[in-house]
Amino acid sequence: MKLLFVLSCLLVLNQPLLENFHRAETRQNAEERQIVPVVYWSQGIETASALKQAGIEQIAVAPDKTDEWRNAGFKVNPISPEALEKREKLLVPRLAGRANVASATRRPWIDSNGWRFIRNPSGKFYYDLSQAPRVATALAAAEAFTYSADAILKIDPVNLEDLGKMLAFIRNLPVKNYPVVADLGLIDDGSPVTGEVMNLLVRRNLLFKIVPSPSPQLAVTIKIGTREFPQSDAADPSAFAQKVRQQLGDEKRTLRLYGSEVVIGRLTGDGAGIRLHLLNYSGSGIEGLRVRLRKSGHQGTAYVFGLGKVELRDSLAEDGAVESTISQMGAYAVLDFSIARR
Amino acid sequence: MKKTQGPENSALHMETASIMRRRSFVQLLAAAPLASAIRVEGATETPRYHINSHYQPAAVPGMPGPYPGQVVSVKAVKCLSEDGEKINAEVVREMMDRGMRTLTGDSKTIDSWRRFFGPSDVVGIKVNAGGRPWVVSSPQIVVEVVRNLMEVGVKSSQIYIYERFQNQLDEVNYTPYLPEGVQIVAAEGRNRGRDNGGYDPGVYVEADFFGEDDTRSNMIRLVSDRLTKIINIPNMKDHGATGVTGCLKNIAYGSFSNVARTHFKGVSHTHSFVGTLASVEPLRSRTVLQIMDGLRGVWHGGPFAPTLRYVFYPRQMMFGTDPVAIDRLLLDIIENERKAHGAISIWDRSPRYLKADDTRARDEDPNVNIIIREPGHVEYASKLGLGVHDLGKIRVKEIEL
Repeated sequence: MKLLFVLSCLLVLNQPLLENFHRAETRQNAEERQIVPVVYWSQGIETASALKQAGIEQIAVAPDKTDEWRNAGFKVNPISPEALEKREKLLVPRLAGRANVASATRRPWIDSNGWRFIRNPSGKFYYDLSQAPRVATALAAAEAFTYSADAILKIDPVNLEDLGKMLAFIRNLPVKNYPVVADLGLIDDGSPVTGEVMNLLVRRNLLFKIVPSPSPQLAVTIKIGTREFPQSDAADPSAFAQKVRQQLGDEKRTLRLYGSEVVIGRLTGDGAGIRLHLLNYSGSGIEGLRVRLRKSGHQGTAYVFGLGKVELRDSLAEDGAVESTISQMGAYAVLDFSIARR
Repeated sequence: MKKTQGPENSALHMETASIMRRRSFVQLLAAAPLASAIRVEGATETPRYHINSHYQPAAVPGMPGPYPGQVVSVKAVKCLSEDGEKINAEVVREMMDRGMRTLTGDSKTIDSWRRFFGPSDVVGIKVNAGGRPWVVSSPQIVVEVVRNLMEVGVKSSQIYIYERFQNQLDEVNYTPYLPEGVQIVAAEGRNRGRDNGGYDPGVYVEADFFGEDDTRSNMIRLVSDRLTKIINIPNMKDHGATGVTGCLKNIAYGSFSNVARTHFKGVSHTHSFVGTLASVEPLRSRTVLQIMDGLRGVWHGGPFAPTLRYVFYPRQMMFGTDPVAIDRLLLDIIENERKAHGAISIWDRSPRYLKADDTRARDEDPNVNIIIREPGHVEYASKLGLGVHDLGKIRVKEIEL
């Protein structure tokens, strides 16, 4: 009894100690929840040094190869080629020229997979990047991580180094597992039409989440087939997304990006902070990407793939919004904002 | 960052426009409800503009400046070789001396320049390098401007030649003509839409033209941060979207990012956007002198002039502070030249001649438009207070050398 009393006193008197204990626990849990994509490796054991040189410690291999790779010091996920093919195959993330669908200079078509991840958060996916350019391989890893997707990447071994750099960048990010921030709700009927609408909403940076029914916390809830959003309108998903955008109003959008038509953002956050993932599908660098968040009281830190932690520039906070510029970014950047305590 | 007009207060501003400060008035005119009242017949609908700038206008803004409605035109047959390929620098110098003196009424050229510039100024020279190689701001004119600025006492290191795209400046290559110290600056490497570091994130015009995601056009940072005065040196050029590109288009589209978004599938919002951009502070106040280079011009296929096919030779320069008045004259110059070649009018809006975005057809046939042209942008700019559009009120002093 005496011991319990002393312990209780210690807990009350050392509240900061207790908080630290909980934080560490939370962090540990969060790390466990953080999902980093895994590379599928079909090369022989003699390539182990190449993998290690690329900083890759975890791979997916055919079941009969599991032991030799484990013995070589790797964390191994056994998966047969058949099981790999059964996973949902994703597009190679990139700009895609599509005549009469998108303009090369104004609103280029992007092959992105964000909507697939949003629709099926517990899904199992794989990218076949064996023919993909270097930049797409690294971008695919970032894309899967951004949406916390269970994804396996089948790559061209010549792109191993680039993938390794991206995975190292991802692993070094501070762990933040915030819930998704959305301006819109979408009631998903599972149809291809609704899927394509989701694709265009992602493409246009119209932040949405799937909801079972309309929520008063969301400005607009989309349900295809209703009087407000008839099936006929959804036949042109691009025009549909534009209609949704107008209905919401740009001034009410939590996230706006300026200086590029080819960057897709994913925003997560809660009362403790905000994380913005930025995926650049252009295949080349962007200078001076301007980010506007309709939130206040934040202090931002940017982590840019290839550059590390960088300072945000020309930051402004006004009218309940914060704006900052990322001087340079390649395929992927992450912005973390802490909520200022008042 | 200063927030300006929005739809919620437009009605109030409409009622009180007569007592508003000039800056507010200009910015309000760019808003849709009032702008619709000054639309030119047949033009595309005016989008809603949001202008963001914390810069205050000068007591006398550079545009239209101290000489509204006044234009000095100087023609000299010998400014070019007979075949039009070579520029005679001596004749150009004489054209500029006469033009400047006539504009200001001074007997000495140096006094004319002193009216606009002092030793403490940091001067930008907005050239046009888009019509390379044949119809660009001629190096002989640019170097003469630099020489006069240095005569006034402006140090070479305080003189900047600027354009949006470095690759265009590289092709023209002004460097061999210039004194040491003059700086050549571009906002972007080339027209790819992904180099934004040269633009000011705090000075922009926001508008949604065709549902694009990036709805901002930002002012070049050099213009907002560094320059105290700007000299605009446009060319006499046809333009597929605006009808002509002269003073207004060169200073407006040449000083802001992300402007090509105003043209899409045969439609253009240049009618209202050119003047709106030109009216944004500090660009409007700092652009104090217009020198139109009409040694050569292009009457079709502009703003580009990769071959001599559509190049003509006005052998002319125009001087003034009023960009609208000069551009009003330019409309007739390009129109008359097109007429002389049997080409359709710059005012033609018929779908019959429209082959949207088909630049090859446009280059082969002067009777093809790739966009419905908006020459009414000049009149629109006049309604924003940028100058005089009415030909009856424009006074032209003509000089022939």
